[in-house]
Amino acid sequence: MTQARSAVEFDPVVPHGDNGIVRSRGRQAKAPWWLWLGALALVGPLLLAIGSLFLRVFDATPAAWDTLFSTRTLGLVWRSFALTATVTATACVLGVGGAWVLARTDIGFRRGWGVLIALPLVIPSYVLAMVIISATGATGLIADLTGYTFPSISGFVGSWIALSLSTYPYVYLITSAALTRVDPTLEDAARGLGATRTRVFRTVVLPQLRPAIGAGALLAALYTLSDFGAVSLMRFDTFTRAIYAQYSGRIDRSPAILLSIVLILLAAVIITAEWRTRGRGSIFTSSPSRSASRVRLSRAGRSLWTAGLAALVAVGTVVPIAVLGGWVLQGLANDVEFVIPWNAVVGSITGATLAAIVAMAFTIPTVVLIVRHQSKRTEVLEKSIFALFSLPHITIAIAVVAFTVTWLRPVYQSLGVLVAVYAAMFLAQSVSSAKSSLMAIDPTVDDASRSLGRGRFQTLWRVQLPLMRTGLLAGGALVFVTTLKELPVTLLLSPPGFSTLAVRTWAAADELLYTRAATAALILVAMSVIPVYFLSIRRRESVGS
Amino acid sequence: MTTPIISVSDASVSFDDTRALDGFSLDVPVGALVALVGPSGCGKTTALRAIAGFQDLDAGTVSIRGETMVSDKINVPPEKRRVGMVFQEYALFPHISVAENVGYGVRGSDRVRRVAEVLDLVGLAEYGSRFPNELSGGEQQRVALARALAPEPDVVLLDEPFSNLDAPQRERMRRELKHIIRAARVTAVLVTHDQSEALAIADIVAVMRSGRIAQVGAPPDVYRSPVDPWVAGFLGDAVMFDSTVVEGVIETPIGDLDSDVPSGTDVQVMVRPEWIRPVQSPTASACVTDTEFYGHDQRAEITLADGSVIEAMVPSIDAIKVGDTVTLTLLDAVVFDRKEPAGLA
Amino acid sequence: MKRLIVLVAALAIIGTACTSDDGSNSLTLYSGRSEDLVQPLIDQFEEETGIEVTVKYAGSADLAATLNEEGDASPADVFFAQDPASLGTVALAGLFEPLSEEILSMVPDRFSDSDGAWVGTSGRARVVIYDSTKIDASDLPSNENPFVDEEWAGRVAIAPTNGSFLSFVAAKILVDGEDATLEWLEGMAANDQPRYSGNSPIVEAVNSGEVEAGLVNHYYLLRALAENPNEVGRNYFFPEATAGSLVMPAGAGVLASSDNKEAAETYIEWLLGEFAQTYFAEETFEYPLVPGYPANDVLPPIESIPTPDIDLSELAPLLDTATDLVAQAGLL
Repeated sequence: MTQARSAVEFDPVVPHGDNGIVRSRGRQAKAPWWLWLGALALVGPLLLAIGSLFLRVFDATPAAWDTLFSTRTLGLVWRSFALTATVTATACVLGVGGAWVLARTDIGFRRGWGVLIALPLVIPSYVLAMVIISATGATGLIADLTGYTFPSISGFVGSWIALSLSTYPYVYLITSAALTRVDPTLEDAARGLGATRTRVFRTVVLPQLRPAIGAGALLAALYTLSDFGAVSLMRFDTFTRAIYAQYSGRIDRSPAILLSIVLILLAAVIITAEWRTRGRGSIFTSSPSRSASRVRLSRAGRSLWTAGLAALVAVGTVVPIAVLGGWVLQGLANDVEFVIPWNAVVGSITGATLAAIVAMAFTIPTVVLIVRHQSKRTEVLEKSIFALFSLPHITIAIAVVAFTVTWLRPVYQSLGVLVAVYAAMFLAQSVSSAKSSLMAIDPTVDDASRSLGRGRFQTLWRVQLPLMRTGLLAGGALVFVTTLKELPVTLLLSPPGFSTLAVRTWAAADELLYTRAATAALILVAMSVIPVYFLSIRRRESVGS
Repeated sequence: MTTPIISVSDASVSFDDTRALDGFSLDVPVGALVALVGPSGCGKTTALRAIAGFQDLDAGTVSIRGETMVSDKINVPPEKRRVGMVFQEYALFPHISVAENVGYGVRGSDRVRRVAEVLDLVGLAEYGSRFPNELSGGEQQRVALARALAPEPDVVLLDEPFSNLDAPQRERMRRELKHIIRAARVTAVLVTHDQSEALAIADIVAVMRSGRIAQVGAPPDVYRSPVDPWVAGFLGDAVMFDSTVVEGVIETPIGDLDSDVPSGTDVQVMVRPEWIRPVQSPTASACVTDTEFYGHDQRAEITLADGSVIEAMVPSIDAIKVGDTVTLTLLDAVVFDRKEPAGLA
Repeated sequence: MKRLIVLVAALAIIGTACTSDDGSNSLTLYSGRSEDLVQPLIDQFEEETGIEVTVKYAGSADLAATLNEEGDASPADVFFAQDPASLGTVALAGLFEPLSEEILSMVPDRFSDSDGAWVGTSGRARVVIYDSTKIDASDLPSNENPFVDEEWAGRVAIAPTNGSFLSFVAAKILVDGEDATLEWLEGMAANDQPRYSGNSPIVEAVNSGEVEAGLVNHYYLLRALAENPNEVGRNYFFPEATAGSLVMPAGAGVLASSDNKEAAETYIEWLLGEFAQTYFAEETFEYPLVPGYPANDVLPPIESIPTPDIDLSELAPLLDTATDLVAQAGLL
C-alpha cells in the first residue's frame, strides 16, 4: 500500500540523451533557393547536355539496337564489372594498408612515403599502361637491365595493375584523413577488453573508417568504369572501349549513345550499392581529444611493411618515372630535338587551376545542401554528380559539343565552357572530400551563428566555409590533378590553339615520338607533386586550429 | 502582470510518428529566469529550438516581445529573432579565437569594447586570444554564454547548460550563471533534465511531460503543491499512500489528515520525506531500520507497524539511530484524487 | 578567400586573352594530324603568308564527329585529316565547300574526292611491319588474305578500332565485296590475331618482340627508326593490288561555313606546294602526292606500289558497315 518513489526510479534519465535524437531528426530544414541554384548552376547544364544526347535513343537506328542486343554487350558488362570489382578491391587493400601503416605505426620516413605512395594519382593511366607494356616483355626495360625476362603484361592483368595503381591513391588519401578523426580511446577500450591488435583493427578501426573507404572505393570504381586509356593500350575490352570504338568507327552516333546509357546504369548500380552499405552508425565524428599513439612495429613487421611500401612506390612511381626519363635520355642520345612545350605547360596550369577553383566554389553550396539539408532530392543530386564522374569522357565531350553549339553558341569552344565541364565532371572528387569535412562538424555551430543574427549566407561564408576549408582544398587538389590528366574533353572542347601536357603526351606517343611524349609526361608529373604533397600532409592537420 | 516577453501557445511538432511537442504553451515574464524541466524525450529541447527558430512548428504560435515570430503565415528566421542561445555542446566556432567568437554577433563600431565587457562579465577578460580547444569545459561554457550575451539580446536560451560539467564545476557555474544573467538584465529560459538544478536556479519552473507543460510556478510552489503525483515524483522524493476520505478525515499509516474532500473519494496522499518528523518514543510502533548521515541532514528508513517502509529526511541536529522507535508527525501533505489527480490541490 | 577571387579573376583574364581574335587574316584549322607533325608546317605558312592560323588538334574521327555536331556553326575554316574516311564523313554531311579546279588538278584524281570536296595532301601506304629477326621478307604473302591461314595464327597484329584499319576494311569491301571481307575478318578472329589500339602500339609491339608482324601504315616504323636505329621492325609492301596495298591520303577540305574561304584555299594550296610536299617526304616519311616531288630515299617510289582501282569517296559511306563487320567478326 505504501510506495516510496524517487525521481530517478520514476523515469530513468540518460545524460543529455534526447538531444542527439531530436536534433538529427529535426534537422531537415528547408534549403534556401540560392543553395540549390549554386549547386545546380554547374552540373545542371551538363546533366541537360547529357540528357539531350541520350534523348537521341529515340532516333536510334536498327543497327544501333542490334549492337546493343548483341551477345557481345553482355560480355562487355561482365568484363567491365569484373575489372571494376578487382581494381576497387585492390585499391582498398593498398589504400587502407598504406594509410594505416603511415598514420598509426612508427615506421620510418613516414612523410616521404606519404607523398611517394600518393604519386601514381598524377600519372595518367594510359602513361602507366604504356610504361608497364614497355618495361615488361622480352625486350622490355626490365629485361634490358636485369637480363631476366619479365613476362609481358597486357589484357585483364595489365588493366588491373595499371588501374589499381591509378586509383588506390583515392582510397589512401581519403582514409588517411579519416584516420585522424577516429578516436583512439575506442581502440584503447577494445584492447583493454582483451582484443588483439588485428581484432581491434577489424572490429573497431575498420568500421569507423567505412564511410571514408566507401567514398574512396566509389571514386576508384567509377574512375575504372570511365577509363579508356589504360584498357585500350592493354587491349582489354570494356564498355568504355566499346563506346570509343563506336564513336570513332561510325558516322551514326546512336550505338555509342545506347552503350553510354547502359554504362550509366552500371554506374548507378555501383553508386546505389555503396549507398546501401553505408552503415546506420553516427555520422558526426568529433575531432578526438588526443592523437593516437603509434603502434610499435616489430623488427619483422617493420621490414615487411617497408618492403611492401617500397614495392608499391617502385611499381607505381619509380618505374614509370624511370622509364619516362629513359625515353628522354634515349632520344637525346639519338640527337632528337629536346623541346619543352611551353604552350602546353601554360594550358595545363590554366585549365587545371581554373577547374579546381570552379569546382571548389560549386562544391560549397553542393556539400552544404547534401550534408545539412539531406532529402530525397539532394540524394538524387549527389548520385548524379557521381554518375557524371563515371561517364566516358568522349560521351561527355560529344554531348557538350552538341549542346553548346545549339544553345550556347557564343561560348562554344571557350575556355569558360571547358573549365566548367572539367569542374562538373570531376565535382564528385571535391564533393566527397569536402563532405567528410563538413560532416565532422557539429551542426549546432550553424545554429549558433544564426542565433547570433547571421543569416544563412553569412553563416555559410563565415562558419561552414572556414570549417570545411581543408577538405575543400584537398578536393580542389584532386580536381587539379585529374584535370591535368584529362584528354578527350580537352581535345574536343578546348579553344583552338589551346594545348595541355596530357594532349602533348598522347599525341606524341601516338606518333611514336617517345622523347617528346616522355618530356611532356614528366613535366605533368612534376607539376602535380605540389598538390599531391598538400594532399598527403593535410591529414596531419586537425579540424580545430 | 505585463505582457510576457516570450509567449508560445499550442505549439505542436511531430517527428515521423512521435509527437515532440503536443499543445505546448508557455508565457515567460520579462526578466524571469525560467527553467524548463522534464524527463528525457519530453520535448523540452524541441521547445527551446522552436522559440529560437531552429525548429519549424506544425501548428501553434510563438511571439517574442509582443511580435509574432511564428504563426500560420509568419516564420521569422532565427537570425532575425534577437534571441541569444547557449548550446548544450557550446557550439563554439573552432576556427576562430575566443574574442572573435564572442564578437561574432556584434555589429558596429564598439565591438571591441563590447567583447571586452562581456568577457569581463563572465570572468574571462584575459582569454580573448585563446582558441576554443585550449579552454576547459567550464571556460567554454562561459565563452558560449558571453557570445550569446554579446549582441545584447533581451532573451537568452540555454540548452542543458551544465550537462558537460562535472559536479563541483556544475554547482559553481550554476551560481555564476544566475549572477551573470541577473547582471546582464536579460530574460533567460534554460532547459534541464535535472529537477534539483531547475529548482535551485530558476525564478519559475516549468515542468514538461510528453510534449506539453504539466505545471508552471515558483520553485517552492511547484515543489510543495505539485498538480499531480507525476509532477510530485518528478520534482523530488515523495512518499505516497493510497487512502479514502471518511467524513472529512483521511487515514494514513503515519497519521490522520483533516480534509474537506467529499466522503468516499479515493485519494492519494503525497508527503515529502522532510515533511515527516520522527520523534523518539519508547512506546511507538514505527521503528528506524536504517540511517544515512549526510551532514546537512540525514535520511531515516522507517518500518511501520504494518511492515511497510517509508523514508524521512531529518535535520542533522536530531539524534536518531537504528533501532529507535518513533512516533511520526506530518508537517504537510498533498492530497490527490485518485480518479482525477489534477482535480484537487 | 579574397586572394582566391583575385586569382580567379586574373586567370580568367589570361584565359580570355588567349582566345583568338576574328581578324580577316586568320584561319581556324581543325587538325586530325598531330601537333608534332603539323605545327612546323603551320609556323612556316604563317611566316610566308602572314595569315595567322589557330589550330585545334584532336583525332580525325573525333573532329569529324565534332564538325557534324557543329554543322554550319563550326568555327573551323579548314579540316585537315589523317584519312579519307574522316574527310568523307564530313563530305557526306555536305559541310565542305567544293575546292577550286586549280587545287584539285594539282593532285592525281585517285587521291581526291570525286566531287572535289577534299584533296589529298600526302600519301600513306598500308604495309606489313615484321620482325626482321624472326621473319624473312620472302616468306610473307603477296596480299593480306593468307593471314587467315593456320600458318600465321597469332602472329599478325591488327588495330580493329583504328581509323586507318577501318578505312582499309571499307576499301576491302569495295574490292572484294562484303561477304569476302566478313569472311576474312572472321578468319582473322578465328586465327586469334592479336589486337591493338592503334598503329603505334603495333609498331612498338613488333619492335619489342611481342608480336611478329602487323598491318599498319608505312611511316610509323620510319619514325621509330629515326629515334632508335636499332629497332628490329621492317616494312613490307604487298606486291599485289588489294585493299592491303592501298595508298590512302591524308587530306584537307574547306568548310562551307567558313567566313574566310580565300585564306582557307590559300592554306590548302600551300600544303601542295614545295615546302609542305618536301616536308612530308623528309620529315614525316609520307608520300608527296603532287607529281614532281620525290619520296624519301628509304621508301620505294609511289608508282611502284600496286593500287586497286577504287574511288576513295566511296569509303566513308561504308564506314558504318565496316565497323559492323568488324564487330560481327568479334574483333571490336
